Amino acid sequence: MSERASRSSRRTRPRKRLRASWALSIAVALAITGFVAAAQWNSSIARQQYTTSAQQVLAAQVVALEQEQKTLRDQLAQANTEVQGFQQESAGSQTALAQLNRQLAAARLAAGLTKVTGPGVIVEIADSKRPVPAGENPANYIVLVDDLHDIVAALWASGAEAITINGERLVSTSSIYGVGASILVNTAFLSPPFQIQAIGANGLLDRFMSNPAYLGRVANRIAAYGLEFATQETGSLTLPAFVGNTRFRWGVPTEGS
Amino acid sequence: MAGRAAQVSIAGVLLVIGMLLVGQLRSQARPTELTQLSSQDLSTLIETLSERNRELRSGLSDVDEQLREYRAAEAQGQSALDVSREDLRRITAFSGEAPVEGQGIVLAATGDLDAIALNDLLNELRNAGAEALAVDGVRITAGSVCVQGSSSLEIDGVAIGQTFTIRAVGDPNGLLAALERPGGIISQLKLFVHATIDVSQSHQVLIPATQRSLAPYVAKPVD
Repeated sequence: MSERASRSSRRTRPRKRLRASWALSIAVALAITGFVAAAQWNSSIARQQYTTSAQQVLAAQVVALEQEQKTLRDQLAQANTEVQGFQQESAGSQTALAQLNRQLAAARLAAGLTKVTGPGVIVEIADSKRPVPAGENPANYIVLVDDLHDIVAALWASGAEAITINGERLVSTSSIYGVGASILVNTAFLSPPFQIQAIGANGLLDRFMSNPAYLGRVANRIAAYGLEFATQETGSLTLPAFVGNTRFRWGVPTEGS
Repeated sequence: MAGRAAQVSIAGVLLVIGMLLVGQLRSQARPTELTQLSSQDLSTLIETLSERNRELRSGLSDVDEQLREYRAAEAQGQSALDVSREDLRRITAFSGEAPVEGQGIVLAATGDLDAIALNDLLNELRNAGAEALAVDGVRITAGSVCVQGSSSLEIDGVAIGQTFTIRAVGDPNGLLAALERPGGIISQLKLFVHATIDVSQSHQVLIPATQRSLAPYVAKPVD
C-alpha cells in the first residue's frame, strides 16, 4: 500500500508536467486554427460582398479560355519545332540550304522567336502592402498597366535586347494592356507580382534606373505608395521564345524598301 | 487510452488546420481574384481572350498548312527551299526587317503629345491587332520606344517632330474603332493634352523596314 502510494506520487508529478505541455500545444494549435478560421471567414465575407453568381460564371469562362489558350500555345510551339525540323532536313543544294538556314536562324533570333541567354536584370514590382489611408484611391496602391509600360520602355531605351514579363516574351506585335485591374501581355492574362527580365549589355540596371521613362512616373509611384519593387543584376538569364501568332492577315511583305 | 484520445484529437485539430489553410490559400489564388473583377471587366476579358485564342487558332492552321507543304515536297522528292524562303519573308516582315504593305489606318497628330502619349498610341494599335507600325519613316520593332530626347521626341535615335504620322497595317475597322471608342485613347488624350489627332482608313499603307540592326550583341540563342 505504502509502496503503491509512493509509486503513484512519483508518477503524479511528471504527469502534471506532461499535461501542461499538452495543454500548451493544444492552445497554440487552437490559436492558429482560430486565426486561420477568422482570416478565412473575413475573406469569404469580403468575397460574398463582391461576388455574384454571374461573376462566378464569367470567371469560369475566363479560366476555360485560359486553358484553351495553353493547349493552343503548346500545339503552336510543337508545330513550329516541326517546321524547323523540316527546314534543317530539306533536300536541295547544300550551299543554298545552309545559307537559307543561317538566314532563318538569324531572322528568328531578331524576331524574338528563339530562346536566348545572356547577362541582364530582373525587375520585380508588386502591389503595395501599405494600408490604404481613408479617402485615398485604392488603385494608387496596386500595380497599374502604366507601371509596366514605363519599366519596359525604360529597359528598351537602356539597350535591352530581349524582355519577358512573367515569361511572356515581348515582340514587335506585343501589347501590354489593362483590363480593369488585370493585365494582358501578348495573349496571356498575368497577375502580380510582375517579374520583368531583360537581357542587355553590362550596366543595363544603372542605365534603366536613371532613364527618364523610369524616373518620370513609376519611380514616383513606388516612392509615394510603397509599391513593392526590387531589382537584381545577373550574369546569366535565359528568356523563352515568343509563342503566338506571327502570321499577318492584312499585311504582305514587299521586296525592297 | 488517454494518450490515444489525445492523439486522435490532435490529429483532428491538425486536419481542420490543414483544411482551413488550403481554403485560405485557394481563396487567394486566381479564380477568386477573377471573381473580384467586375462583370464588365470579366466580359471584356472574355472578349479579349476569345479574340486572342481565335488568332492563335488561325496562326496554328497556317503553320499546319506550312507543314503540309513540307510533307508534300518531301513526298514528291522536291526541294522544300521555296517553303523555307517563304518562311524567311514572313519572319523578316514580322520582326520589322522587311517592309510590309496592306490595308490599315493613317493617324496624323499635331500638338503637345509627349513620349508616353505616343507609346500609348502604339500600344493601343498593337492591342487592336496592328501587324506593322511606323511613325513617320521609322518602323516600330519590339524595342522601338519613343523617348524624350534633348530637343525633341526620338524613336530609335530619329527625331520626331510635333507633327507626325503613325501608319498601321491591320484591320482598318478594328484599328479605327479601338482608337476612337468612347473613353478610348484619343478621347483621353484630347482631355489632357492640346493636340489634334485625325485618323483615316487606307486601302494601302506602306510600312518601311527598320534601319536599325535587330541582331542582338549579348543575347545568344539557346538550342
